[in-house]
Amino acid sequence: MTAHDWRAEIPSRPFVEAGLETHLPLPPGDRALVETGTELAPGDPLLEHLRDARIDEADVRSSVGAPPPVAGTRWSPTLATGRFRRGRPELEGELLAPVAGQRDRWRIVVGDHRSVGTSPVGGLVVDVRPGAEVRIRVAGLAVRGAMAAGASARGRLELATDPFGDLRPGGIDVGRAGSILVVGSRIDAEALTRARAMGVRGIVVASLPGKELRDFLASERRQRAALHPAPPFGLLVLDGTLRRPIASPIAELFERLAGREVALLVDPPALVFDAPDVELPAIDPDWVRLRSGPTAGAEGRVTGLAGRRRFAAGVMLEAAWVEIDGEPPVDTPLGDLERLV
Amino acid sequence: MSSEPRAFATVDQGTATVAVSLLGRLDGRWRLLGSTAAPASVPADALLHRLRARLDAADPGLAAGVGLAAAEAVADLPRVESRTTPPPVLVVVAATERVVRPLAAAAATAGWRVRAMALEGAEILSIASALADPSVTAVLAGASDPPGADERPLVGELAALAAAATQRRPDLVLVLAGGMSDAVNRTGLPVAHDRPGATLLAPAVATADGARLRELLDGVRGGASDGRRALATSTATLAEVLRRRIEVVEVGQSAGARVAAAWAPGAPAVSVTWATVAGAALIPPGADDTVVDEIAGWLAAPLDRLRLRDRLRELAVAPWGDATGEGAQVRLAAARAAVARLAGATPAFDALPAPDLVVAAGGAWSVAPGPAVALALADVLRRPGVRALGLDHASLLGPLGTIEDEAERRRVVADLRDELLLPLGSVLMPGALRAGHSAGRLGIVAADGPVELDLVPGGLELVDLPPGSRAIVDVRFRDTVDLGLRGRQFALEVAGGLGGLLVDLRGIPMRLPDRLERRRELLAAWQGALWTGVDA
Repeated sequence: MTAHDWRAEIPSRPFVEAGLETHLPLPPGDRALVETGTELAPGDPLLEHLRDARIDEADVRSSVGAPPPVAGTRWSPTLATGRFRRGRPELEGELLAPVAGQRDRWRIVVGDHRSVGTSPVGGLVVDVRPGAEVRIRVAGLAVRGAMAAGASARGRLELATDPFGDLRPGGIDVGRAGSILVVGSRIDAEALTRARAMGVRGIVVASLPGKELRDFLASERRQRAALHPAPPFGLLVLDGTLRRPIASPIAELFERLAGREVALLVDPPALVFDAPDVELPAIDPDWVRLRSGPTAGAEGRVTGLAGRRRFAAGVMLEAAWVEIDGEPPVDTPLGDLERLV
Repeated sequence: MSSEPRAFATVDQGTATVAVSLLGRLDGRWRLLGSTAAPASVPADALLHRLRARLDAADPGLAAGVGLAAAEAVADLPRVESRTTPPPVLVVVAATERVVRPLAAAAATAGWRVRAMALEGAEILSIASALADPSVTAVLAGASDPPGADERPLVGELAALAAAATQRRPDLVLVLAGGMSDAVNRTGLPVAHDRPGATLLAPAVATADGARLRELLDGVRGGASDGRRALATSTATLAEVLRRRIEVVEVGQSAGARVAAAWAPGAPAVSVTWATVAGAALIPPGADDTVVDEIAGWLAAPLDRLRLRDRLRELAVAPWGDATGEGAQVRLAAARAAVARLAGATPAFDALPAPDLVVAAGGAWSVAPGPAVALALADVLRRPGVRALGLDHASLLGPLGTIEDEAERRRVVADLRDELLLPLGSVLMPGALRAGHSAGRLGIVAADGPVELDLVPGGLELVDLPPGSRAIVDVRFRDTVDLGLRGRQFALEVAGGLGGLLVDLRGIPMRLPDRLERRRELLAAWQGALWTGVDA
């Protein structure tokens, strides 16, 4: 595309992105098993999660000349000196903050139940912030979504429906365990809950109404509150809340990736794949998708810019001529269109 | 711009909207040659090419005269650019709710997304987690100076948590307000001076009603080209040029801003007050049911709560999508609710003298018809008096505010004084109006000749007064009312605009019916009178 290509006036977003940086939570008490600069492969141990984090206090007096305690570092009674070594052996955890007015006494985050979390993606650890996050620059390419919920997960990509379809709860069984399912245009909270129960690792859907998202989040909160560790389960919504099919280039890409391992990321919302042998679908430069408006989800060919046009409710907007299904071009607000570039 | 170019461009890069304008020097003064706006993903250069091509097609001589005959000219065009970014997150912590509340209120008007927490009754672990959250840019830990009796048992714990947070997150900006700086010094846990994040000492929130704390927090947040700070600068310049009191209400995708600038004869400088409120964004992130209900309260279209919530989520994801028909109504209802939140967060502005001119700015208004914007302003900003209404239609105020040289900025604004704002009309809004069949009569010589109106309390009357025109209104009330001044008879000069003159007798504050259907009918009736094609 040249600098003066009129198509640059149509809103666009990248079809796929390279070098995406993902953020994985590392709350106080959790311990990173990697450090900055670590090269990760998918499934490598990433962090140790404390499932029942609580606060206790310990005397952290250390030997003369030793560095002073620092928040975010690990502490155990073996690090204490003299009589303070007699501290409770189970009192091992992360230093949180000193206790006010009591020299050498700190609050520490302790717990009894730990589980190891693995990396959903391969890539390079670019930062580890104890008590905050682990940042990874992922290897491979990413398809961005509009929102995500749950936890980042990994699994083989499976197409459960066509890009226009709905997935009903009855359509999910244990045969889908370990997969990340692409479910077309819509799914409800019941089907999401069943998918998680059947061992599905993630759902990719074009749109999800707010009510279903709210119900799913409530279910997720209950799941996280349980002590029994469950495999991570993520939800990736590609477009928004109003019903529309998955954009055809993305659907075609998913078809080519079917059966391969992919990662579903929550922060930022994205689906990541590292498959250099998979050719990306070619996108016609005139291809556009109606992202919003009464015919949201329709796709067509843009034939030119129409200038300012008057639309319903007397609203004046910049528009383009769009041909859909071979019909004569219609004026369409530029704000309703999107291109994948 | 010191070498006197013949044209320059302005770019207002927002989180949802990019707006560009072309300005050319004609007959020794700057003129607006064209402006346009688009979703933020569209490159500003593409829009400048659009404008240049249109200028060249419409008037090739003019385009050549300002050096814009060739497409390549766009690349070399000088630009003034402002940029707004999503508000960063600030955690406000204090020992008790009593202390947190004013701190959070001050921070909320300084352009931060505020998460307020009191240590009293909270779990230490949740506070420590909140302070270390990677999405947090800064922590404001505050205490009274000296700490009150309710704070003293907790202030040491809080100081320790704040100091420890800087060890976990050395990049964290730590602002210690009031008695908190002493408390941190007493923890024995040093806050490193050479860490990437700054440690700043601030006055207690009670000092100067929080103005100094707010000023400090505003300075920590924004850079030199911050669009909202630039908006305050250019509003002050505009007030000086027009010799008026001006109030700007800006609503964007990421925040809202309110600026009041007052020129006064004999005063050494224009006084300017501004606030940036993240909660006054068109759709605040994580908007809860309260926000949905606020917006539903301004919506004439019959949308149920679930559908409205989904439409609002879509609007948050794609702010330029679905901008026509019902979508336009949803957008303006959201803009009204945002202005109401903005006004609610900035009560200090209501103590300032009433403005002569109210200007709507920001991406939220960019796709709305002018008269509909005039009605939205009148609906929400309820204050007795007569004022003109304008729209920053070309989004010039932000970029022009970034011109550092004050004299040059004044010269550009003075040149553009007739083009900078789209005149929306005037609103006459009496306060202390008594209920009854008739409150008096109004006479005006309008576009269609003399108009006489019976002033019926509760109503909204429209008088056609085209843009560029001015008229004298003669108003006679039966009882004393408040129109900025208290009285019964007034002769007032009003300016015309796209919405004409709005004689707004709906009361201050305006009370809408509780019943949803009746409320929608009323809103639809008012909207229908001003918004052509709204039912299309």
